[in-house]
Amino acid sequence: MRTRIRAGDPDAFAELYDQCARSVYNHAFRLTADWSVAEDVMSATFMEAWRRRTSVDADGGSLRPWLLGIATNVARSHCRGNRRYRAAAGAVAAAGVPEVADHAEETAGRVDDRRRIAATVTALAALRRPEREVLVLCLWEGLEYADAARALGIPVGTVRSRLSRARGRLRKLAEAELARPARRKRELTRTNRQTKGDRDFVIRSAQEGNR
Amino acid sequence: MNASPSQPHPAEWTETQGLLSAEERDLPAGRHQFHKEQMMARIREDLRTTAVAPARNSPSTAPARPRPFLRRAVLLPALACALAAAVVGGVALTGGGDAGTSSADGPALTTRIGAADARGAQPLLDHIALAAADTSETTVRADQFLYIASKVASTYPKTVGDKTTIVTQKLHSRQVWQSPDGRDGWLIEPGNTGKDGITLAGPNPARSAYDRLAKLPTDPAALLRRIYQESDAVRDPEVPRDQAAFVAIGDLLTESYPPAKLTPALFKAAARIPGVVAVNDAVDAVGRHGVAVARLDEQNGERTEWIFDKKTYAFLGERSVQVGPSDTFKKGTVTFTIAITRRAVVDAMKEVPGEEG
Repeated sequence: MRTRIRAGDPDAFAELYDQCARSVYNHAFRLTADWSVAEDVMSATFMEAWRRRTSVDADGGSLRPWLLGIATNVARSHCRGNRRYRAAAGAVAAAGVPEVADHAEETAGRVDDRRRIAATVTALAALRRPEREVLVLCLWEGLEYADAARALGIPVGTVRSRLSRARGRLRKLAEAELARPARRKRELTRTNRQTKGDRDFVIRSAQEGNR
Repeated sequence: MNASPSQPHPAEWTETQGLLSAEERDLPAGRHQFHKEQMMARIREDLRTTAVAPARNSPSTAPARPRPFLRRAVLLPALACALAAAVVGGVALTGGGDAGTSSADGPALTTRIGAADARGAQPLLDHIALAAADTSETTVRADQFLYIASKVASTYPKTVGDKTTIVTQKLHSRQVWQSPDGRDGWLIEPGNTGKDGITLAGPNPARSAYDRLAKLPTDPAALLRRIYQESDAVRDPEVPRDQAAFVAIGDLLTESYPPAKLTPALFKAAARIPGVVAVNDAVDAVGRHGVAVARLDEQNGERTEWIFDKKTYAFLGERSVQVGPSDTFKKGTVTFTIAITRRAVVDAMKEVPGEEG
């Protein structure tokens, strides 16, 4: 597969697309908190993959890490500031809390689905972009640290340190949720509260500045 | 892909359970096919018009202009690169049972906070720049590698069960090889990489790559403008602008091999950053005492210190010390530290230079 991609075999790209488009699309959503931006990112990612096909190493396993790395770079250009991410996440979170009327019309499964997605982006919005990127690559996409490091073009130690910071922040977030036991489930999707908590992290955080 | 038992997977993190769902969605109906056809059309078009390189056209950019996100893609990871290198040792992930790293952690490393003198920074940096100007130029061939050996450790909050303690890793060695163009390299850092190490090769050249450093302006004012420009492009909005610039210069000084002409300019540029101070005493990772040029990140109370020999003004290493209030680290905690022990030019990756002299 790698050899065919390197050689620019169109069929190989078609196969790669069918295998990975969905995964790239969801990855892009987690990085942008916006489904329509995610679609653009997905599309641009494959164009870019085609353009950079010769950068594929001849040896190695799945090409997914390589694609996800490209997608991460593309997403970064779409969603540069954290503020923008938070705004998008806020919108998704708001949509995750259905009006009562909505609720009646939709199936319970669909509502749950929206809620879970809202909770996810809300949690991700508490992170800085570099942390979010490694977290999404390592946690959802299941990349080995070395693969994530390669996908992002950073040393593996950086992946570790960013994950560690991401972890610290998520723990705080989880604690904050636990501190509100009564309405915990619902609160999870409320954007205003999360954003406030987020400020604390920003100030406390930053163990290594912007390295 | 996740087979390595030495790397606890974040999926084991209890923090993430419940907060993060693995919910996935399909593309909206018809869009999968639509984008596939777009891609295939592009591929056919490229193959038809050019037999060789396809690098010209991509949908969102005019030909011949590099895609902007690629530039950024180079910058951001690179920003992380050099110094994160410093941190690398650190912050090992403590999931469940990673015996390798947990046994290597000790109590949080603390230090006496040196006194800062705002007026002393300028003269100190003048001395340092002067001393740096005195070194002779080394040439590096494209097929050679830059070798940088260091000792590093970092401090992080470690959670075992429901108890979190601040621990510092055992000081350990780190060896890096970099190709001059920054696209190839190797890292050996026991505890983080296994004894054989890992490749640092990638399409994005390291920001501290020799070739790149050789192209930076050597006029301090122009250099500083460039530093700000580049760091503004990638910095987190939470990090104060001047701090980001200071840290960016540190990145170029630490795990790198700056050309002799550039080094004095880097120091003179640093002297122009507001808030840079001289610190009368600082100790590097291997216990060498020196003076430091430092800057406090007023946002998180952490001071980044570049440590120099008191007499020769040779660069010894860098560390970060918590000097202001923080709810994670106590005052005086060394949050990370790196001492550079050797820089050399070698002919091959993984080749260790002989004794100095």
